[in-house]
Amino acid sequence: MTSSLRLRAAIVSIALFAAFIGVWHIATRGTGAVASMSPEYARLMGLTATAGKSAMPGPLDVGAKLWEHLQRPFYDNGPNDKGLGIQLGYSIARVGLGYLLAVIVAIPLGFLIGMSPLINRALDPFIQILKPISPLAWMPLALYTIKDSGLSAIFVIFICSVWPMLLNTAFGVAAVRKEWINVARTLEVGTLRRAFTVILPAAAPTILTGMRISIGIAWLVIVAAEMLVGGTGIGYFVWNEWNNLSITNVIIAILLIGMVGMLLDQILARFTRMVTFPE
Amino acid sequence: MSTFDDPFDAGRKLSRAGCACGQHRSATEHDQAALALRCEPVASTEARYEGVVASAVMRAMFPKDAARRAFLKSVGASTALAAISQFFPLKTATEAFAESGAPEKKDLKVGFIPITCATPIIMAAPLGFYARHGLNVEVVKTAGWAVIRDKTINKEYDAAHMLAPMPIAISLGLGAQAIPFAVPAIENINGQGITLAMKHKDKRDPKDWKGMKFAIPFDYSMHNYLLRYYLAEHGLDPDTDVQLRSVPPPEMVANLRAENIDGFLAPDNICQRAIYDGVGFMHLLSKEIWDGHPCCSFAASREFITGSPNSFAALTRAILDATAYASKAEHRKQIAEAIAPANYINAPVTVLEQVLTGTYADGLGGVKTDAKRVDFDPFPWQSFAVWMLTQMKRWGQVKGDVDYKSIAEQVYLATDTRKTMAEMGLAPPASSYKSFAVMGKTFDPAAPEDYLNSFKIRKSS
Amino acid sequence: MTEKFISIEAIAKRYPGAGGGEIAVFENLWLSMQRGEFGCVIGHSGCGKTTVLNILAGLDAPSAGAVIVDGQAIEGTSLDRAVIFQSHALLPWRTVLGNVAYAVTSKWRDWDRARVRAHAQTFIDLVGLTGAEHKRPSELSGGMKQRVGIARALSITPKIMLMDEPFSALDALTRGTLQDEVRRICLETGQTAFMITHDVDEAIYLADRIFLMTNGPAAVLAEIVENPLPKDRGRTDLHRHPYYYAVRNHIVDFLVSRSKSFATDTPGHDPRNVPVVRIGKPELVIASVADGPLQETKQASWPGLSRPSTSS
Repeated sequence: MTSSLRLRAAIVSIALFAAFIGVWHIATRGTGAVASMSPEYARLMGLTATAGKSAMPGPLDVGAKLWEHLQRPFYDNGPNDKGLGIQLGYSIARVGLGYLLAVIVAIPLGFLIGMSPLINRALDPFIQILKPISPLAWMPLALYTIKDSGLSAIFVIFICSVWPMLLNTAFGVAAVRKEWINVARTLEVGTLRRAFTVILPAAAPTILTGMRISIGIAWLVIVAAEMLVGGTGIGYFVWNEWNNLSITNVIIAILLIGMVGMLLDQILARFTRMVTFPE
Repeated sequence: MSTFDDPFDAGRKLSRAGCACGQHRSATEHDQAALALRCEPVASTEARYEGVVASAVMRAMFPKDAARRAFLKSVGASTALAAISQFFPLKTATEAFAESGAPEKKDLKVGFIPITCATPIIMAAPLGFYARHGLNVEVVKTAGWAVIRDKTINKEYDAAHMLAPMPIAISLGLGAQAIPFAVPAIENINGQGITLAMKHKDKRDPKDWKGMKFAIPFDYSMHNYLLRYYLAEHGLDPDTDVQLRSVPPPEMVANLRAENIDGFLAPDNICQRAIYDGVGFMHLLSKEIWDGHPCCSFAASREFITGSPNSFAALTRAILDATAYASKAEHRKQIAEAIAPANYINAPVTVLEQVLTGTYADGLGGVKTDAKRVDFDPFPWQSFAVWMLTQMKRWGQVKGDVDYKSIAEQVYLATDTRKTMAEMGLAPPASSYKSFAVMGKTFDPAAPEDYLNSFKIRKSS
Repeated sequence: MTEKFISIEAIAKRYPGAGGGEIAVFENLWLSMQRGEFGCVIGHSGCGKTTVLNILAGLDAPSAGAVIVDGQAIEGTSLDRAVIFQSHALLPWRTVLGNVAYAVTSKWRDWDRARVRAHAQTFIDLVGLTGAEHKRPSELSGGMKQRVGIARALSITPKIMLMDEPFSALDALTRGTLQDEVRRICLETGQTAFMITHDVDEAIYLADRIFLMTNGPAAVLAEIVENPLPKDRGRTDLHRHPYYYAVRNHIVDFLVSRSKSFATDTPGHDPRNVPVVRIGKPELVIASVADGPLQETKQASWPGLSRPSTSS
């Protein structure tokens, strides 16, 4: 039954995709050659102007370009032109670094907040104010103070991915069942061992949920941040191709950004499943 | 007059005191040395340096003018050169001269915005001008003018491509903290244009432009000042009669297509790109507003200049070299191909070619030719800076008394560049100030306040 | 009563009340137990039974008074006092073996894995869970979970076992089996056990002495009932013992009526010298204990309540 449902869903998915591609193809068809243009003039003009080609690329253009990129994902033509694989690598590395920093800060701090009502109360106003700030609003401040665009991008990733993790860790730690804590207490387990053997595994599903939200935000932000600071990364790629008005490449980048984002989310989802325990 | 007249051209007028290359006490002596060494046409930079070095060597060997002349007369110039080369390795001396003090820092980063104004900065990388001066320069494409400013201030870039008024604005602390910056070379002259959306093809008189929206790349840009000047000359107050928006160049074409703006005064390859994509037409080249106006500059912080003087000197020489190379019409096609790839400007070669060669589609079905549509002349005229300051004051960007001369002299390094150009065998102008006309109105750099007061339309302060 | 292995001395527990004052759950509570004794506390909800147990465990601190175990005042929790929780409190991310091993490693930090495993296995076998070592708590039935809880408590070879209504969440059949199990283990190992229950039959089956507490707030330990049943009693023929119903009725009677009015009925109650009820002994015999017909009547007065329980 489920397999047939899956099959039917797959058929519907494919049909929707095909319909989307079809509509896209029709919508972006050219309007045919534009008449009355001297050949000398036409030579100097782009296809949009001469052949009435749509400004929006069709699925075939995108497909061909994608194939081109996939064949050489790691080329390096200098500091401003690198293969998509390299650009994605840069973005993932930046996200990874900023995210790792956020994990290093958020989880111990979240533990502290979760375990101490005093610290919870004391830090709450700061967290409430800092949490809703748009990540990119930090960018000028970061650039101005850190004075390094690479580090600024990492800082922005850090600052935007820290909050969900911090709050979820604090919540998860505070919500650990009293009886589990009591088990550890009656067994005379020390504070540190208790944190690692009882609180951490008990709060892990909540913490991982926060981490999953964070990685999503981090990936959202890196693209915007890289468009701003430039240099390398998939965000820079989008900007560079936008500069050249190459919508084809922009669409390809969007596709890849979506896929990598999904992948990152799936990885975290898998981790979440690993630490989730049925009760 | 371009700075790149052949110094070995016998027919060249020598109206200045001293000599053109600055190495000789008089023009006669310069000519003497030049004549002495004219054994082959000077085509390459190497040959040009060789010329400078050889004449220096000659002078060192024969400190007395009379003796040198006698020697040259008796053996002939080419024989003399050959003779000197035998016991004095000229090639090595040339290299040593070209390096003149090893750069403190060889690996440099130079930021640029992907527009044709940055041609000398960009092409110096693929065409090897940086390498020739012993530098390993990475040219880094940057997202916008504010970013390039911040990254240069933050020392991520050692030097950068900036709009000509930007180093003045940064030094004055407009829009950021005041940090002394300096301009050793202007990147390009001319090369901008007013592009209008296709729907305005019958609205060619600026008097009809009331209420239209125009894009400019940055507040502290020649584009801003030229567009304002142009509109004001046609009786429109740019602050009240039209809307001016700061828009990053790549977004200009998209905005024009989306009819968010009616036109723009933008750096080139953007104007031509709008035409290429069939969304706009060329209303006016910026050259028609002011022929020979500066647009972008090559800028570095004072801190870098004093901290790494040899690196800075080498960079300046590379840029001057590249600019000299770019100023030659016959090199333009090659340059267009060199800077078109994604690593540099990332634009169709056709578009860059049209900009650089000056044979371009105007967007209305015609092909026009103007070899000086964009030109390259590195000399940082201090009078340019004075003019920009008058416009900054005119539009309220600076207020109060402006010490035009001292700011211009601090930021635009005319004196140093003159010396460097002379050392390189280029022919710099003797003065740092020149008068020019903008839309037929003459600007006298000696009387900036009078000039400013002569405008009826200006921001009331 | 010569040797006080556990001595609860004048403990009180107060909470800040709504009006700024304090609400005392209980005051001046005295209680003592001998080594190897099995004590059961019975009382209505809210009388502070669990608080007493928590104080004994060291999970809670008394507002006043002290608890002395084996000659030493207790301060906090101790591996000498194992707790079996009502909700079993197994760590759900650990297997059966993992849960028991966690306790074992907590007590013997320097043991190697094999030794910990072997030791844990002994106790898993003891509670009859052989074969389920690698199951997670979610895969176990309620009874099996509580067996793990018992194995975990026993594995650290405590001096005292503290049980907070350990079987209340289980069905009758499982409860019976586990009661047998606990009784067997306690007899075999000579454990001192302190248990809270609502179940009168459970108390009579397991306990040597039954502590009756009045209703809270301001609960007091009203009586201590000495179980007249022999040590080698069996669960199935418990009710056949001549004293069974007497004991049972005494307790039920206390729970149903006297627990409410105890304070007003007995103004001279001395918490240090709580009356000990010895059923079957002449001086304290309730008049009708040996009287068959009366017994019948008393039973008849509880139609359908063969196992009165206060857990509502």
